[in-house]
Amino acid sequence: MNRILAIVRKELVDAARDRRTVLVSLFSAVAGGPIMLVLLFNFMATQADRARDITLPVAGREHAPALMSFLEREEVKLTEAPTDYEARIRRGDLDVAVVVDGQFEHDLEQGRPGTVRLVFDRSRDRGRPIVDQVQNLLRAYNRTAGAQRLILRGVTPSVANPLNVEDVDLSTPQQSGALLLFLVGFYAMFAGMIGSMAPALDTSAGERERQSLEPLLMTPARPLEIALGKWLAVSIFAALVVGCTLLLFYLTLSFAPLPPVGLPFLFGGHEVGRLAVVLLPLVLLFPALLLYLAARGRTVKEAQANVSAIMFVIAFVPAASVFLQWREPAWIAAVPIAGQFTLMKLALRGEALPALQVAGSYLAPVVITVLALAGVTRLLSRESVLSGR
Amino acid sequence: MIGVEDIAKRFGKQGEVRAVDGVSFTAPDGEITGLLGPNGAGKTTLLRVLATLIVPDAGSAAMDGLDVVSERFAVRERVGVLSDARGLYPRLTARENVAYFGALHGLRGAALDARVESLLDTLGLRALADRRTQGFSQGERMKVAIARALVHDPPNILLDEPTNGLDIMSVRALREQLRGLRAAGKCLLFSSHVMQEVAALCDRIVILAHGRVVAHGTAAELVARTGAPTLEEAFVSLLGSAEGVA
Repeated sequence: MNRILAIVRKELVDAARDRRTVLVSLFSAVAGGPIMLVLLFNFMATQADRARDITLPVAGREHAPALMSFLEREEVKLTEAPTDYEARIRRGDLDVAVVVDGQFEHDLEQGRPGTVRLVFDRSRDRGRPIVDQVQNLLRAYNRTAGAQRLILRGVTPSVANPLNVEDVDLSTPQQSGALLLFLVGFYAMFAGMIGSMAPALDTSAGERERQSLEPLLMTPARPLEIALGKWLAVSIFAALVVGCTLLLFYLTLSFAPLPPVGLPFLFGGHEVGRLAVVLLPLVLLFPALLLYLAARGRTVKEAQANVSAIMFVIAFVPAASVFLQWREPAWIAAVPIAGQFTLMKLALRGEALPALQVAGSYLAPVVITVLALAGVTRLLSRESVLSGR
Repeated sequence: MIGVEDIAKRFGKQGEVRAVDGVSFTAPDGEITGLLGPNGAGKTTLLRVLATLIVPDAGSAAMDGLDVVSERFAVRERVGVLSDARGLYPRLTARENVAYFGALHGLRGAALDARVESLLDTLGLRALADRRTQGFSQGERMKVAIARALVHDPPNILLDEPTNGLDIMSVRALREQLRGLRAAGKCLLFSSHVMQEVAALCDRIVILAHGRVVAHGTAAELVARTGAPTLEEAFVSLLGSAEGVA
């Protein structure tokens, strides 16, 4: 036990003095998340602004004076569309343009619907709120004008509207909210990974590369003690990085001058605590896994190659769950990373964590941690550990 | 005291490389025993067996009567090794490097501090004690590595080519250290491929070639046995016959 503590202490001092490790952890994980958060908030704010004040380029305004004055009453600023509006929309300089057919007035007089073309590029997300807005306005005009005609003929307009569709959006500020949720969860997890990577590499493959492994193995310290000591040290380091990341998220969301877009989730003391509970098994799992993979590499370089494989998994699993918009099956809670991600989403929605699900999410990481540590111990007990084969 | 009996160790997929092939000798306390042999003679492998890092394929070795395989953790408490690999932790100071190994050997508190301080003094590391070992010279690194190997005051000391890469002043200082340890009654086993090193320091010499003991005895005995005028001539004639050169 004393030997394990001696190893933990030495490894922590060693990692803390490695200025590069500390800086990398601070910048990529701790500061990276909040910076992304601020950027995203600003993006959401501009999206909201764009939807609010619409400037609409129109070609052929003179053909539909009634429609134009309706739009102006709805506070849309009308401008003359440039002649090359199609090219501009394609290039992304313009979000949308309205083209009034030359026959518009004539068609109406003949009792036929007049044609208005809404020109936009569906592949551009940026313009979507404006396009939606304009579409809604045009539909509104259609309804109003149609209703007036029915009334003139002594028919109540509801006859023509058998369906009344009301939007009830449960995801609150929808897409951008989901993105924020994803971002916070991802960065918290990422912090655990980044926080443990450099110290894990340094203490395993680095120890061998610096030729200090052989003297270490000649001490009475048992391979298991060495494995446990190094694992605990890396875990503590990872926990510190995750803790700092969560704290900085909390401070950013509570005190930073963010544009008022309305937070799609809660992030108070309770949520920070719940996230810590969810992330704990990963903070134990990542270091064990990294130590094992790194110990299998002969040099730090080989170890890095081994380690980047899990890096990919960690980045890929949550991203896949965002893009595959499936309803998550119950067993997903037991899968490391995916399970934590699901629970983090619950926590951020302000819901209490189901104890059974939390316990389920601990199971696989604990088993893998034990296996990985047994693997490290076995590697350290082998004669070939010195040559790295 | 170190006793080696018929140790053999092979490497390679089919065990085709006979690194050590039936070596026996005894290294008594209070003496420096030299393992002399050309590169590839099996010196490092033999020392690694004694340091409990590798398990021999055949034969046995004992340190103060403790078996290096079955009682290896007890052996580790009774042996200090300055191995081929003498990497230090570059971000730790000289004192921290030594103290860490002391703690791994079970030393604690005041006893650990006192032991580390006395080693820093005897090895002349006082001025460097609180500097990180990052920028240390070869000689300075060597001193820290020796302090680390001796931190638990082991009765048996193994040194693998300790003078490699050292300048003449460091070599002389090292010799003084080793003579001091001999005077304290330690059992020292010293490997080298440099005949002069061994001649200058060792009480008895074990000459290895191709993993076998070619000859052993004191310098005078070896000279007498070969009839050569100097130890160097004796060494060459002994090795010459082993290498199959006339």
